[in-house]
Amino acid sequence: MIAFSKMNSNNPFFEVIAEGMRDEAKKYGYEVKVVSGEADVAKQKDQIKDFIVQKVAAIVLNPVDSASIGPAIKEANEAGIPVFTCDLQCTDESAKVTAHIATDNYQGGKLAGEAMIEALGENGGEIAILTHDPAASCIDRVAGFDEVIKAYNAGRETGKITAVKRLPCEGQRDPGFKATEDIITAHGNLAGIFAINDPGALGAYAALEKHGKAGQVKIIGFDGQPDGLQAIKDGKIYADPIQFPEKMGRQTITAISKYLAGEEVDPIQLIPAELYRQADGAKDPSLN
Amino acid sequence: MRHNLKQAAYDYGMIFVLLLLGIIFSFTTIKEQTPDDAAAGRKMGKTLKKEVVLIVTRDSEQHRTFAEALRASLSANGNEILNILQGEPRDVRKVLVAMENDPGAKRPTVIAGPHATMNWDLFNKGYFNSHFSSLDGVKFVKPATYTWPTFLTRQNLVNVATQIVVISIIAIGMTMVIITGGIDLSVGSLIALSASIAAAIIHNAAGNGPSTEVATTVVVGACAVGILASGCFGFFSGAVTACFKVPSFIVTLAVMMMVRGYAFKSVGGEAKGSLPDAFTTLGHGDWMGIPISVVLMAVLYYIAWFVMTQTIFGRNVYALGGNAEAARLSGVPTKRITITVFTICGLLAGLGGIVLASELASGDPKTGTFYELYVIAAVVVGGTSLMGGQGKILGTLIGAFIIGVIRNGMNLNGVDPFNQMIVFGWIILLAVLAEKGKELMVSGGRSPFAVLGGLFASRKRGEHMETGHGENE
Repeated sequence: MIAFSKMNSNNPFFEVIAEGMRDEAKKYGYEVKVVSGEADVAKQKDQIKDFIVQKVAAIVLNPVDSASIGPAIKEANEAGIPVFTCDLQCTDESAKVTAHIATDNYQGGKLAGEAMIEALGENGGEIAILTHDPAASCIDRVAGFDEVIKAYNAGRETGKITAVKRLPCEGQRDPGFKATEDIITAHGNLAGIFAINDPGALGAYAALEKHGKAGQVKIIGFDGQPDGLQAIKDGKIYADPIQFPEKMGRQTITAISKYLAGEEVDPIQLIPAELYRQADGAKDPSLN
Repeated sequence: MRHNLKQAAYDYGMIFVLLLLGIIFSFTTIKEQTPDDAAAGRKMGKTLKKEVVLIVTRDSEQHRTFAEALRASLSANGNEILNILQGEPRDVRKVLVAMENDPGAKRPTVIAGPHATMNWDLFNKGYFNSHFSSLDGVKFVKPATYTWPTFLTRQNLVNVATQIVVISIIAIGMTMVIITGGIDLSVGSLIALSASIAAAIIHNAAGNGPSTEVATTVVVGACAVGILASGCFGFFSGAVTACFKVPSFIVTLAVMMMVRGYAFKSVGGEAKGSLPDAFTTLGHGDWMGIPISVVLMAVLYYIAWFVMTQTIFGRNVYALGGNAEAARLSGVPTKRITITVFTICGLLAGLGGIVLASELASGDPKTGTFYELYVIAAVVVGGTSLMGGQGKILGTLIGAFIIGVIRNGMNLNGVDPFNQMIVFGWIILLAVLAEKGKELMVSGGRSPFAVLGGLFASRKRGEHMETGHGENE
């Protein structure tokens, strides 16, 4: 049996990873058991202890806290149970993770930067970034974004893109909404917003709409969740670097099966993000 | 005698709920157990005769003991041990590949190990034969299984106990606060505060050196400062509640928010990990096979039971919650009692924070959210009335166990997260209703039907009172 403790149960992204795992596991005859850490590291630690009692063959985690989950992983290490992380990484170096399967967030962040340049055109302008620093993956996204914007600005006199504000949005709609309201109050000329995920981007859109600025400010999101994609098709979000959570789940199971057969497993497996624009939305059969 | 039994049922009736839950989860977790201890190794060794055995286990303490017992038992029964491999699948695979490529190498007739390793895909018959044809015909042997509830395994019961330590320690203070008729919503934040402060002090003491090598005295001092800081906020909540006659619900709601802020500030917003062994012992160490944190919990409950039942302070706490005005008039120092119980609650929340940080080996300002609700749930499920004046410390311990067992049982049964929330809510509600019904039954000595009637009647009385109230206005 393979045990998976996902991040939380209110973001469908993690359930899609679980679906991918369940589906792929059928091929190998594994059973997948899914629980949710509900963003509480103490709860996730208890779940790992329960997995050890059940003598599972492998543990898969979306670590709810990159550092604090270390000791629980070490307990699994001591019991000889392999641990795989998916989407989010564990930063505790004394904890042994057999393989980490995730989106290439840095490359995805660069795509977001390119999309922002494309959206603003030659005029450039003031932009804001909605961050979520507790997650290393979101820090990578912003770093990739910043690099592309910096390269674009280099040697340019006019039409520069300047990030005038960075505020945390916790990766959720409501804080994203409030942060955006504060940003547009302070910066009336705002031309763009990069949010590190779709809930943040959709919160930003709701705030812009409320204040009549939806046409003026271009939004770049991240993830490619169903409501994010729908918003792109409807022209509410300009573009998303999209992730492939189902593929992430499948690739995790493949890594586990390779491990259990004693084959070499690549310790870090990054899945590239792809840019998704309105034109892609028009062709997407999953949207209405 | 009959009266005493009734009284015991009245005081600790929730223990039956706990037993019932234990029985339910024992039945639902009955499954084939795959032993991997020394006894299983010895037993397995006796089943083989004159074989050449390759032993394969994981690299863990448990499996080393298993492998050693198996080796001794195999030798005693006239088998030859080819090798003992302890590690990951790929380590074992390397050895098998080398064997496959070396025609002169001695080959095993049996590969033996615990289920955990023998169930590796590497030992899947089809896969194995297609990759290691020279080992065709080798037998795979694993220990005999037996049927037993996973819930009732020793390791699982220890898990349940360790998982409720933090909640149950804080619930001692919360029980006292609730018996005085108050409530403390700040405990979740106080957990984060003491954990963060202790971790911050340890990291400061380490300077540029490794934080894992800070002296034990510094670690103990850091923990004491963290606990005292939480105690100070408890004192503050109690003092404001007592001196300004503000409802403790509001005071501690405010303290909950400000303390969370202080916790984030103390570590600069980020969890501080890599704490020294002296710090993590509390959450990871054992004393005669029992986790230290569980021993701590037991000692604290004994002290709390003694204080609440055998001392004047304990009687005053009940008196204050029963009727504050009457207590004040009969000479109970009500302000002092209020401040003391909130301070105790703060100190215990601080201690809970240190235990949690020790388990996680990190001081994280985000931890402890919603803990106030779990703690209050444990107290209420344990039979303490939110109206004040009534409650039992040991009832709270049972309440904490009920919550821990429900959570553990649902995890073992693989109940999905949404259903867990629903079931959790219902069980807490039913437990409290059962307590209420039993209360009526004991006080009136009536049949369950009469109790149902009583519940209905009390609802009606409530309606009457409301009408009466309206007339007064």
